[in-house]
Amino acid sequence: MTAELHVTVAGFVIAMVIAAAVGATIWWMLHPPTSYVQMLAKEAETELERLVGSIIVVFSQEIASQHMMALAAKLARGEKSDLHAIYVVEVPFTLPPDAEMPAEERIALDALAAAEAIAMKNGVNLRTDTIHARQTSQAVLDIAKQEKANLIILGSYREGKYTGAPLSRTIESIAANAKCDVLIGVEGKHGTILVDEVSETGSVSP
Amino acid sequence: MQKRQPELRRSVTPWGSFSWGYSDVGADIFVGLGLVLGAAAGASNVAFLFAGIVYVCIGLAYTELAATYPVAGGGQYFVMRGLGDLFGFIAGWAVLLDFTIDITLFAWSCVDYLSQLIPGFLNTTHPWTHFVVCLMLIAGLATLNVIGVRESTAFNSFVSALDVISETLILTLGFLFAFRPELLIHAMHTAWPSPFGLMNGISLAIISFVGLESISQAAQETQRPASIVPRTSVGLILTILIFALSYSNLALGMQPWHPQYDAHGHAIAFWQIFTNNADNQGKAIALLSAQIPYYGLLATLYVPLLGAVLLLISSNSGVFGSSRIAYAMSTEQLLPSIFRRVHASFRTPAISIIAFSGVAVLELIFAAIPYLIPAANVLYAHLFRGEGGLDFLADLYAFGAATSYSFVFIALIFLRLHDPLSPRNFKIPFNIPLTVRGERVEFPIVAVIGFLGIGSILVFTLITHVIGRIAGPLWLVFGVLIYLWYRKQKRLPLFHSQPKDWKQQQVEILRNAGELELMDQYLSRVRDAEARQGRVWE
Repeated sequence: MTAELHVTVAGFVIAMVIAAAVGATIWWMLHPPTSYVQMLAKEAETELERLVGSIIVVFSQEIASQHMMALAAKLARGEKSDLHAIYVVEVPFTLPPDAEMPAEERIALDALAAAEAIAMKNGVNLRTDTIHARQTSQAVLDIAKQEKANLIILGSYREGKYTGAPLSRTIESIAANAKCDVLIGVEGKHGTILVDEVSETGSVSP
Repeated sequence: MQKRQPELRRSVTPWGSFSWGYSDVGADIFVGLGLVLGAAAGASNVAFLFAGIVYVCIGLAYTELAATYPVAGGGQYFVMRGLGDLFGFIAGWAVLLDFTIDITLFAWSCVDYLSQLIPGFLNTTHPWTHFVVCLMLIAGLATLNVIGVRESTAFNSFVSALDVISETLILTLGFLFAFRPELLIHAMHTAWPSPFGLMNGISLAIISFVGLESISQAAQETQRPASIVPRTSVGLILTILIFALSYSNLALGMQPWHPQYDAHGHAIAFWQIFTNNADNQGKAIALLSAQIPYYGLLATLYVPLLGAVLLLISSNSGVFGSSRIAYAMSTEQLLPSIFRRVHASFRTPAISIIAFSGVAVLELIFAAIPYLIPAANVLYAHLFRGEGGLDFLADLYAFGAATSYSFVFIALIFLRLHDPLSPRNFKIPFNIPLTVRGERVEFPIVAVIGFLGIGSILVFTLITHVIGRIAGPLWLVFGVLIYLWYRKQKRLPLFHSQPKDWKQQQVEILRNAGELELMDQYLSRVRDAEARQGRVWE
């Protein structure tokens, strides 16, 4: 045997008040004011979104960018950026502009295939192009302008060609003349980046 | 070169912080409702109202203190900072009692709720099974907490969300479909208890509100604690208050879906099924929800299970709380340093967790003996009026809570007067402005009201609970002896406090909490105050 429903005005009002009060309390609790530090962090995130909207990763005979390609892929995945990898084959002035350079092009294929593998591993789409140009720096600047890139990412100067300058003339020229941001990954003295001092030594400096 | 000590991870989010408190306080009503209805009958809602007002004062005090001093010690730290090492130890030791009881009481109740679905877990008929399952639960939770707070926070968060939704649904549908105001008025009019019954009911009602300490305990691991903790504390206070007051009024004014009868076959009101019936008292929410028309069909199936899970995570927050407070007390040299040792891999205070879970097991054994060994009943009847099981645990729970909260109110008043410079992101309302030693301070009226309220509940507990009257003070004496022995071994002052640079400590607390704006504000205030006194603080 079961009793009938007992819907009363008082019961209805109390029921509504309970549901509204609990809901409002939880909502208020989960929306605390943002702190100054959080606002700074939000601004930085917004800036990053703008910064990495369209990324070009540059490879060439004298610029090794594989490690920066991995970084670019991670950035692109997080920010859903448009990612473009280019390999610039420099054609000497002693040859016509459309001269075939099979050895160089073979290296370019390897570099861009590796870039595609990195992109695939990170789950991002990548466009790749091999570009013939008289000067790497000018070609990169032209492509960046043409594609309205937000960020150019470059690796470090290829080992064995170090001439005493911290960056090659090509990299310096790109950094100095680009109309967008440029990120250059220069490897440390021992070729290791972002070493965790604490985990390596087990202590911190006083 | 200075070796870096592993620190507690700051991984608790706003919902995680709420969940830690909710999993502790939210489960209390599952145990407390039936006990209060059994003790205070028609005045159960008044008992909850009285305890609820005191709870709001406690909650506001904890909110202000936890936001001002976001460290792991919670109440113990506030009392130590306000009243000195010895009182800090006593308050912390009382809180430790509550947390260890928390582990056992809710593991016990969890199995009671499960017995609704699995009759083999009934304590009265299968005491050994009940005992072994409780023991396994405690051991399992201790392991979970040793592994790490992030894992257990995720566990708590999910179940807390589920329970908030479920309890809101129970109350909303209960009032909508089964509430008759005239039954409530009739129950209050005809079944008003004796003064002893009301005092007993109020002292039991306060156990429905114990656990805000958990949020304070988690403050050191909460992101932006000075900003988040006030929100989560106030959110918790309001949610629990709404639930407790609603349940008690609904239970008294409920027209059950299925008519209820006493042992002689006479029809009785719903709330009367809890009078002198320990079995029903232990599963009040499950019984209430089952009597809501139509919804009761579903509630019968899931509420006992949800109750059991919530009680389990409440037990889990006891493991969490006891280990953290022991960690904090050890850091302040109130307990041996072994309790602050952090596990190198898991980065949790593993030794504290294991030690106080061990204490909880001892309490479980003490509570279960009358059921496991029938011959022990004579001894319990002689010493404790036959109280065992839930009664034993509830007595100690009420005693520990009332004792530590009393100290916290005094500490709050003292800190308002002696530490006015610390920025208070949240301040209890209703204050009297004063000038003490040249500084403007605000005397908290609410703390005085709260102290009188919790003081009266402590008196009610001592009057009406035999075990609370004997075992509670014994626990404190035992703790003070340990404290004195340890301090003597370490050649530290026994009855006085160690000198501490509170100002420097406050800067570090705020910096570690990530509350950089508050740190700047504090530094500025301190420098201004020092300048007024012609000194320079660096």
